[in-house]
Amino acid sequence: MRALLLIWSLAPLLWQLYTSFQPPEALVAPAGAAAAQWTLENYRQILAGDPPFWRYLLNSTVVGAATTVLTLLMAVPCAYGLQRQRGALRLGVTLALLAAALFPIVLLFLALLELARALGLANNLLALSLPYTALSLPLAVLVLRAAFAEMPQELEDAACLEGLNLPQRLRFVLLPLMTPAIASTAILVFLLSWNEYPIALTWISRSELLTLPIAMARISGSSLYSIPYGAYAAATVLGSVPLLLLVLVFQRSIVAGLTQGAVKG
Amino acid sequence: MSGINALLMLPALLLLAATFLLPMVRYAWMSGHASSVVTGLMAIPNGGANWQRLLQDARFWQDAFQTLRFAITSVGLELVLGLSIALLLHQPRRGRGLLRAITLLPWALPTTVMALGWRWILNDPHGPINALIIRLGGDSYGFLITPSTTWLFTVLADVWKTTPFVALLLLAGLQSIPTDMVEALTLEGASRWQILRRLTLPLLMPFITLALLFRLAQALGVFDLIQILTRGGPAGSTESLAFYAYLNAMRFLDFGYSATVMLATFALLVLLSLGWILLQRVGSRRTA
Repeated sequence: MRALLLIWSLAPLLWQLYTSFQPPEALVAPAGAAAAQWTLENYRQILAGDPPFWRYLLNSTVVGAATTVLTLLMAVPCAYGLQRQRGALRLGVTLALLAAALFPIVLLFLALLELARALGLANNLLALSLPYTALSLPLAVLVLRAAFAEMPQELEDAACLEGLNLPQRLRFVLLPLMTPAIASTAILVFLLSWNEYPIALTWISRSELLTLPIAMARISGSSLYSIPYGAYAAATVLGSVPLLLLVLVFQRSIVAGLTQGAVKG
Repeated sequence: MSGINALLMLPALLLLAATFLLPMVRYAWMSGHASSVVTGLMAIPNGGANWQRLLQDARFWQDAFQTLRFAITSVGLELVLGLSIALLLHQPRRGRGLLRAITLLPWALPTTVMALGWRWILNDPHGPINALIIRLGGDSYGFLITPSTTWLFTVLADVWKTTPFVALLLLAGLQSIPTDMVEALTLEGASRWQILRRLTLPLLMPFITLALLFRLAQALGVFDLIQILTRGGPAGSTESLAFYAYLNAMRFLDFGYSATVMLATFALLVLLSLGWILLQRVGSRRTA
């Protein structure tokens, strides 16, 4: 069973890896005709493109980093406030956050595109992090709220007695104890931003500003039948490697974040 | 004291309102107007003509059917597979962390990336599956060009990508079940199947509901996958509501009608979610 699960998860990825090292002729050769030849040509091709492929990775990283920072800056106070709040407002905000977390992003694109045009935010990577922050906030607040709930009240009372104000209590007492939850949140937000498609598709049109998902879609836009699959597979591999590393290294944080938000949200 | 809490929540809530609420209000307004190339992109009130058109739009209803078919099939499969994987990952074994990380990989990759990957895997006749069929002496199959079956392969790609998410949520649920309850039942002589049905599944229900609602909402809004894998084809057989709304806005430049389709999709989503919650209520009352 375990082996089956491994094959199911990995086989499509390994096939991309294999394809990325094959010359184009080998990919369309009749089955069994050509012996495997290995080449780096596909990688050379996409890295020499205009703009070169690493540019998309850089763009996605910039948006992801900006989104993560902005989300944490807004989610931490919100989660703290929500945890301290009692009564109808607490319930209302929690339900609204859950509803927003479930909402399919794609249904927002048209109105957000109008907004971007009206405010001159199109074709701006940092501006893109605004809607991304909004999309990330529901999950981020729910995860961080759960973490605040685990902080003993006595701790904060003691800090109050020592005369620390709210920003100081957060900065020096509470947040240092919440590092795991903050790390989980940051990774989930980064993943969401790295993978988002419909909004980036409609906000960004200049080719040197494309994020990874839309750059991939552009490659596919050429034609349904004549896709440079070798080059494409190389792009898939390069686009996946940062995420593979992220998931392998931070697997525990990702799982903790997802489940904390779910269990206690 | 309560005022401070509200103030702390305010920035986040304002941004959320601007991103989620404002579009819905805007769509409600747009759906009451004609706003397309015909009107020179000017919004002119048209007295509900968009909604009348929606009722008679065969393409909308076909897409609604196809979207439901896609969502119900993939979410159903994801729940069954996700539960099996969660049970598998729950067993204490060495290397569990690594297995969990690898299981998670498909979920972490951008949909567009793997949608193109699947297009290559399902390619006719050069993809690996068809290569294998040919080598075994069969005829290659047009996975993505056969109107009657192509939707099944959009389901396959979706199940591959999102089952890990469902599995993880359910795994969290399994871990919240006290082990001494399982041990007690085992001592009483309950079989593994009985434990699963009488203890595990009922306790897991909140998690199943959460996973189901989340996945249902995402599947009813399926867009990236369809746009990259099939472009709604062949012959419109995989076109989803979200993709139709997108085409109306970006290809046909009919913004009033696009907003109407989006609102209708949203309404469908709300109805289905409420339906499930209601069904659950009735079900739990009966067992209680």
